Amino acid sequence: MLSDRPVTPSTLSVKDLPWQILWDKEKCTLCGKCTAVCPVNSIELGVFRKRVFQATLNPEDTPGNLHTIYHGLRQKTDPAYACVGCAMCNMVCPNDAIIPARSDEADKLRMHIDRGGQPRRRGGRRNRAGGVLDQIKFIRISMLTDPALDAGRHEFELRTLLGRILPPEESMKCLTQNGWIPPVREIYPLVIGGMSFGALSPNMWEGLQMGVAYLNEELGMPVRMCTGEGGCPPRLLRSRFLKYVILQIASGYFGWDEIIHALPEMKEDPCAVEIKYGQGAKPGDGGLLMWYKVNKLIAAIRGVPPGVSLPSPPTHQTKYSIEESVAKMIQSMYMAWGFRVPVYPKISGTSTAMAVLNNLTRNPFAAGLAIDGEDGGTGAAYNVSMNHMGHPIASNIRDAYLTLVTVGKQNEIPLFAGGGVGKNGNLAANAAALIMLGASGIQTGKYIMQAAAGCLGSETDRCNICNIGLCPKGITSQDPRLYRRLDPEMVAERVVDVFLSFDTELRKIVAPLGRSTSLPIGMSDALGISDKDAADRLQIKYVI
Amino acid sequence: MDERQYHVISGRENGERLDSRILEELVQSAVERNRTDITVEAYGQHGIGGRLWKTGTTRVHVRVEGHPGQRIGSMGFPNTLIEVMGPASDDVGWLNGGATIVVHGNAANGCCNGMAQGKVYIDGNIGARGMTMTKHNPRFDPPELWVLGSVGDYFGEFMAGGIAVVCGVNPQNPKNILGYRPFVGMVGGKTFFRGPHAGFSEADAKLVPIASSDWAWLRDNLTIYLEHIGKPDLVDELADPQQWQLLEARRPQEKKGKQKRSMRSFREEVWDRELGNGGLIGDLTDLDRSPIPLVTSGELRRFVPVWENRKYAAPCEASCPTGVPVHERWRLIREGRMDEAVDLALAYTPFPATVCGYLCPNPCMHACTRQSAFMAPVDITGLGKASINAGLPELPPLSGNRVAVIGGGPSGISIAWQLRQNGNEAVVYDRSEDLGGKIVSVIPESRIPKDIVVKELDRLKEVIPHVHLQQDIRKSDVEQLREDFDFVVIAVGAQKPRTLPIPGNERAVTALNFLEKAKTGRFSPGKRVVIIGAGNVGCDVAAEAHRLGAEDITLIDIQEPASFGKEREDAEAAGAKFLWPVFTREITADGVVLTNGELLPADTVFVSIGDAPDIGFLPEDVATAHGFVSVNELFQTSDPRIFAIGDVVKLGLLTDAIGAGRVAANAIIDILAGRRPEYSPKKMIDRERIKLEYFDPRITSFDDMDQCGSQCSSCGACRDCGICVAACPQTAISRVDPEEGGDYEYVVDPDRCIGCGFCTGACPCGIWDLVENTPMG
Repeated sequence: MLSDRPVTPSTLSVKDLPWQILWDKEKCTLCGKCTAVCPVNSIELGVFRKRVFQATLNPEDTPGNLHTIYHGLRQKTDPAYACVGCAMCNMVCPNDAIIPARSDEADKLRMHIDRGGQPRRRGGRRNRAGGVLDQIKFIRISMLTDPALDAGRHEFELRTLLGRILPPEESMKCLTQNGWIPPVREIYPLVIGGMSFGALSPNMWEGLQMGVAYLNEELGMPVRMCTGEGGCPPRLLRSRFLKYVILQIASGYFGWDEIIHALPEMKEDPCAVEIKYGQGAKPGDGGLLMWYKVNKLIAAIRGVPPGVSLPSPPTHQTKYSIEESVAKMIQSMYMAWGFRVPVYPKISGTSTAMAVLNNLTRNPFAAGLAIDGEDGGTGAAYNVSMNHMGHPIASNIRDAYLTLVTVGKQNEIPLFAGGGVGKNGNLAANAAALIMLGASGIQTGKYIMQAAAGCLGSETDRCNICNIGLCPKGITSQDPRLYRRLDPEMVAERVVDVFLSFDTELRKIVAPLGRSTSLPIGMSDALGISDKDAADRLQIKYVI
Repeated sequence: MDERQYHVISGRENGERLDSRILEELVQSAVERNRTDITVEAYGQHGIGGRLWKTGTTRVHVRVEGHPGQRIGSMGFPNTLIEVMGPASDDVGWLNGGATIVVHGNAANGCCNGMAQGKVYIDGNIGARGMTMTKHNPRFDPPELWVLGSVGDYFGEFMAGGIAVVCGVNPQNPKNILGYRPFVGMVGGKTFFRGPHAGFSEADAKLVPIASSDWAWLRDNLTIYLEHIGKPDLVDELADPQQWQLLEARRPQEKKGKQKRSMRSFREEVWDRELGNGGLIGDLTDLDRSPIPLVTSGELRRFVPVWENRKYAAPCEASCPTGVPVHERWRLIREGRMDEAVDLALAYTPFPATVCGYLCPNPCMHACTRQSAFMAPVDITGLGKASINAGLPELPPLSGNRVAVIGGGPSGISIAWQLRQNGNEAVVYDRSEDLGGKIVSVIPESRIPKDIVVKELDRLKEVIPHVHLQQDIRKSDVEQLREDFDFVVIAVGAQKPRTLPIPGNERAVTALNFLEKAKTGRFSPGKRVVIIGAGNVGCDVAAEAHRLGAEDITLIDIQEPASFGKEREDAEAAGAKFLWPVFTREITADGVVLTNGELLPADTVFVSIGDAPDIGFLPEDVATAHGFVSVNELFQTSDPRIFAIGDVVKLGLLTDAIGAGRVAANAIIDILAGRRPEYSPKKMIDRERIKLEYFDPRITSFDDMDQCGSQCSSCGACRDCGICVAACPQTAISRVDPEEGGDYEYVVDPDRCIGCGFCTGACPCGIWDLVENTPMG
């Protein structure tokens, strides 16, 4: 910045930014890698003037000045180029000479990234650490009272059911009267939640699907992955791998005409159809795939021309009541595969979830309900939606389960919980807590991004630029120059690692409960928490 | 051994089964009494035969008849031989510390669990979880378990040492003599076995060839085992090395998870085979999606440097209405080409000395990038003054195109000069005898030495034909000129002084009138003068009035005076007072009466509130507005063949008039050449691209032109310093020498460049830009 540039209200100093680049002149070798890799061009080579004031009292000398120049890294302060803290500079630096550091105070940038009246939008997560899931302990360590199981030695087959499970008499009645009973899938309880082809890069998406296929075909783990709303590549639709896929339909219906065209050529039915009504991370906000991410490839899969923005409205058109929304959509989606594929809705965590659930209990086609809590991640949303809207998953899933208990249907409509599961790294513990609170299965997305692809997001507003196509890890970018940084095979390997280690951890938790084949769904007497209010609210034990 | 005398201890007394504790006391007591051969009649008592250490090394032989309970021989000592004459219950040899235990029958679950030393010989099969958690303490021989038949499920779990031998004779399950899931968690020891199995924990154990030393051990100990169980005849059947296999614990370094297919293999043989070449989206794109590193070059660079030499105008050039590329002149100075630096200006202005050196307020210097960092702008006036020596370039022969220019002032001369340089004849019509307009007739000599003007005009007169008009031009004259010439240019300036609509305005002398007369010395203003209008012209009036004898000079204005620069300084030097805001009510013989009633006494009152064009002679189809000729950005009037430039269009500086002449001339040249005329001046470079850090900020004035040249930041024009070449970490930039008649270039080798932008960051002149690479995909 020129030194006499007039300041505007939005003129910021480095101190005002959320991330400050610490650069060590001594270590820097000026190789240029940091500026070449910085996703948002926050740093540049700067020319610095160094003045040496040569003072002397020697009458024969005259005091003077010596000006020299040096070059180094300079952080830009223009809000448009503010450092996002991704630390790719540090990753490429051969001398460890540069690293971003989180400011020690609330930044001023947040008040100035609405230039032109456009509030901040971003990807990522809520940026709040903590949460009740991490506080829940598993307090039933019944080595002697239940059959003692050894997670490392005994055999486990942790599975859950996705689909409507009618009571035996109703099931028989259904079969004899209608010749049909609702389809049910036996799947692994940890599902990769909906992340669209578009939100994710081709390499990321393929890596996830490949990993899922590997888990199924090489390791016998029936892991499922939801497509998110963005269609499904035609080849996948026509492959046997489709059975590992939960197809998502949402308000934009992107890619669904391609799915319909593929129907006659499908070798397998998909695992299920998820109707997305809401996303926990950004309830009330829709999809925001911007035009610069819609290249030829994305366009082909979504069935649109390239270079257009693809907003998924937050609400479905043509649906005006809960009965209409749920019944109409579920019926339509069942028909697509001749009533062979379970169909269930996914909603954001909300205080109105019980109304939806009550409605589903009366609909024999409803194959389950997925509830997505506020702590989930997203590719793009308004800041305000991400930070301030939504419902925590723990009490929502608990209420839902207890509602089912009240109506005696707790084993009939599986609940899937998502939203911040594993956000602090405790995937299995969070998942187990939710299962014992009443979830039949868990959906996770963000953890997979981090663990399988090295997403840099943290709960400190780090990176969070998924929405602008500049993901430095190539996870959410459609630019080959970025997504080729990600090797689908490596992603697939990490998916496998994640599921295997999750499986071991889940065993470690359920083994002391004597569970090796049936999940402890709703087994809330195994849960404790040292927060009395939380214990009361969740109806679990208060332990100190 | 049967010949020995056995001390019999019964586990039953008076028809009652003895408690395990009592039986243990009886056995221990017998041993203490040196009974070394004992028969125990067992009735399910626990732990029989263990812990018989009280004889020291003397051998103790315990024969167990009946039904021993669990953990027979537990914590057994090396001196002890236990012989169970029938089948045994769970945990035979549990935590065995050295006893030899022979079971003449099957043994149940948990056989040898936790055994550390000793030998257990089973003449039959064993149940589940045999040989689990066994150890080998290096101080002792490893423990051994010999089983004639087969073992139950989960055999060898967490086995940490010892040797198991499973002979496979009459096994319980002939298809699998090792049971279900054996050796999970095995970390040490080995197992010889003879017969089929249904898999074992490959993560923990491995099959190894039987070395000759292993075979020798097995062969020797097999005999001992068979003797113990009383079946030595079996040795021939069992002593066939081909029938045996040996399984060992993997060492920690060899441990592995479940044997898994590599992802590469899965991708190639499963994934791509099912989906087709290119995997998931191979049908939708042929883009290469193979992995690339974080730092890339060539077409994989995210950003590409571009050498934008002279793409943008330097601030001096952009802010000069005449458009003189001042920084290029400094470049020539730096290159030691003083003459060319001087001559260059003549291509842009006919008055490089008069205007740039003296009369111009030098917008170029105000715009100088150095100003933006509190540094002294490069001083152009010296170079301007030196331009008096600029020589006429060789002019092209006349093409036959002819343009009439009405008005021989700065704008008229400018366009005539530009047209002539391009080979067009431009004839100037002016009422004055001499060319020069207001420069000659109005501007005081205090501001411009007469000889400078004369010399510059002389230079031009040779090439610009001048028609001296004897009378005011009329509409019919213009129409005639339009007939006779290809184009007509109106450059008559603003000759009509504006006056005030107040009483006594006829007493006032207009500035224009006065300055013209002052030049010839034909005016005496008196001692006291009041000048209404304190702009720069008012200041000129003040200075001239002072020169002509005025002593008490007052300039008044209705607002803060807009005067500045040399004019203002000269007026102040003449002792002029500035009064504002004041409003004139009338002009009387005594002076100026203000609206507040105050009288400003004056011998002469001057009105200097601007001049207006006199455009009555214009043909009606030439549009005007508010007394000025309307033109487009090319200075073309509503008649496409008539252009208008200078004050007749808009009042301005001399340099504005000269610049207008250039723009209009270029438009005319374009039209004559059959091109669509365009007004597309270069955009000014963003000053932030310039790196002033390379310059000494403490320089406040310049000693000479060489210093000016060296301190010019050459905004937007490469100074050929080579800093980019040196700054590039990849040595991707090189200088390419000019081809014949061309210019040098700095070029980037895309295969070396990583798009770091260091060239952009380091370039003092802001030539390099870093732009996004062409989108892919």
